Amino acid sequence: MQQFFALLKKIIRTGIGRVRFLMAGIGLGVAMLLILIAAQVNTNFNELLHGSANASETIDYLVINKKITNETSGNESANAFSDSEIQELSKQPFIDSFSYITSNQFKVMAEIPAFGIQSMLFFESMPNDYVDVKTENWNWKEGQGELPIIVPNSFLDLYNFVFAIGQGSPQVSQETIMAAAAIKITIYNDITGESFTGKIAGFSDRITTILVPQSFMNWANKKYGGQATKKPSRVIVKTKDPSNPQLVQFLKEHKYSTNEEKLRFSRYRGIVDIITSAVSFFGLILLLFALLVFSMFIQLVVESCKYEIQLLITLGAAPRQLQRYLMKQFVPMYFIIGGACFLLVSALQWWASVQLAKQQMFVSPYPGVMTVVSTVLILLLVYIVNAWNVRKYINQH
Amino acid sequence: MEIALNQLVPIPLRDKILQQQSDVWNSNITFRPGRFIKIKAPSGTGKTTLIHYLYNIRYDYTGSVSFNGKPWPQYSSEELAELRQQKISVVFQDLRLFDQLTARENIELKRVMLPKPYHPAEKIQEMAEQLRVTHVLQQSARTLSYGERQRIAIIRALMQPFEWLMMDEPFSHLDDANASRAAELIAAECTARNAGFILTDLDDDQRFNYHDHYHL
Repeated sequence: MQQFFALLKKIIRTGIGRVRFLMAGIGLGVAMLLILIAAQVNTNFNELLHGSANASETIDYLVINKKITNETSGNESANAFSDSEIQELSKQPFIDSFSYITSNQFKVMAEIPAFGIQSMLFFESMPNDYVDVKTENWNWKEGQGELPIIVPNSFLDLYNFVFAIGQGSPQVSQETIMAAAAIKITIYNDITGESFTGKIAGFSDRITTILVPQSFMNWANKKYGGQATKKPSRVIVKTKDPSNPQLVQFLKEHKYSTNEEKLRFSRYRGIVDIITSAVSFFGLILLLFALLVFSMFIQLVVESCKYEIQLLITLGAAPRQLQRYLMKQFVPMYFIIGGACFLLVSALQWWASVQLAKQQMFVSPYPGVMTVVSTVLILLLVYIVNAWNVRKYINQH
Repeated sequence: MEIALNQLVPIPLRDKILQQQSDVWNSNITFRPGRFIKIKAPSGTGKTTLIHYLYNIRYDYTGSVSFNGKPWPQYSSEELAELRQQKISVVFQDLRLFDQLTARENIELKRVMLPKPYHPAEKIQEMAEQLRVTHVLQQSARTLSYGERQRIAIIRALMQPFEWLMMDEPFSHLDDANASRAAELIAAECTARNAGFILTDLDDDQRFNYHDHYHL
């Protein structure tokens, strides 16, 4: 076959339009690079978001409530979640689990004699699984006079860096407060009341509220609360990925609000998504043009050697032999281009991983599965389109 | 391998043919394997047309040409290629060499078309010596005289295995001595293969021991 192909080389001149062929080759190269880079960037970004090396916490908690607008202000039931809304929320794929946050339905008065502070207060409670402060003191049984509470870190900061300075009061550490401060807490309704000694069990970053154990809340709401149970107006959800654009979209559509800070990655991710899809779209268009030029080139070669191909077939050359010969003229270039693009992207990936590691961001130094799959798919597509064209034009003679 | 003609009539020559008597046109005949067949006819009666029909590169006829019991239209292009590589060879009247190749390359092309060539490469030299064209083997086919081209085309046709060899006035540009040498080579190669041939010509000749004679 080698000798036969050597003779065919003198008969079927593939040199014609060689420049066009090379240009199409360059186009194919650029298209492949764009698509592979888009695939790789996507892989890297996902790795940065979800990879175990980058994430400090793989589960995130979001407190969700309705946005209070001018229309709904003062309308308590409109700002609470209805049963159907809760059901819809719990069905979303991006939410792992969720729980109501129960608020007090009685009045609370707190007093810290040591600091000379007295204030009306509120409580909320949620199941222990959702509480980020893990301490043995976090429980309450009926008859217990001491009530553990968790306050947000930001409260202490406000006290230390704003209130204390203004009032000339001493600044205190978390430990001091937890050990010393006894808060006199009185809960009451219009008829009767009861006092407890509040003890700060810890400081939370997760939720900006004052938490009491769920058991205390249930007992107190039953004893001092009104008859009708109120609908929850805040829920806490557990999610693996607070930057999931679907989650953000869902919140936006339903006019729910949450800690925006946690969603900020979503915006970056949206931008990266748009850029990578634009790049891959451009790459695909370019790929399409490259394929078109290849097809035209094959047609040109076959047309320009029409007489020769006819005579070869008359003399007994099998169409399959001629197809194989033509494919052998074109295909090596595609594979060289494909291989070169893949190597280039691999090198870029290695370089990027080194650069990112300096900033404590860790991505694999090797190309991702998506990149490998894309390379194989593109080459397969190019091969099939070429084989199809060669067959089509040879069989016309 | 039998070749059977069934009421074969070329469409362009239809009227002319139906008026005159012919052994071949519009009749049922079978060419049996291994026979040396001579078809004699004056110019313009369709010798080349017949060879093209038999080799299946022209299709403007009524009736049928069957190879091994199967009409030509039923063969796929790959099957045709296989037949032309292994069962049927041809010497065209217009020779059909590749001008961009040398004489040797033209012959070699047919030899190496099969993955396992029938003849070794040395056979080209041997046949070229026999037909006195050794000196032109390295020349481009374009520069050869018609007689030289004719002998190159004959050698090319003999490079492959075949059961039938079609020849369309193969000696038209050869002097008697050269024609006899070519006929001797062709007869030897056919005998070696147990192959038959179909040869068309204008006149009678004694170059082969023909088994069958037909008038077109």
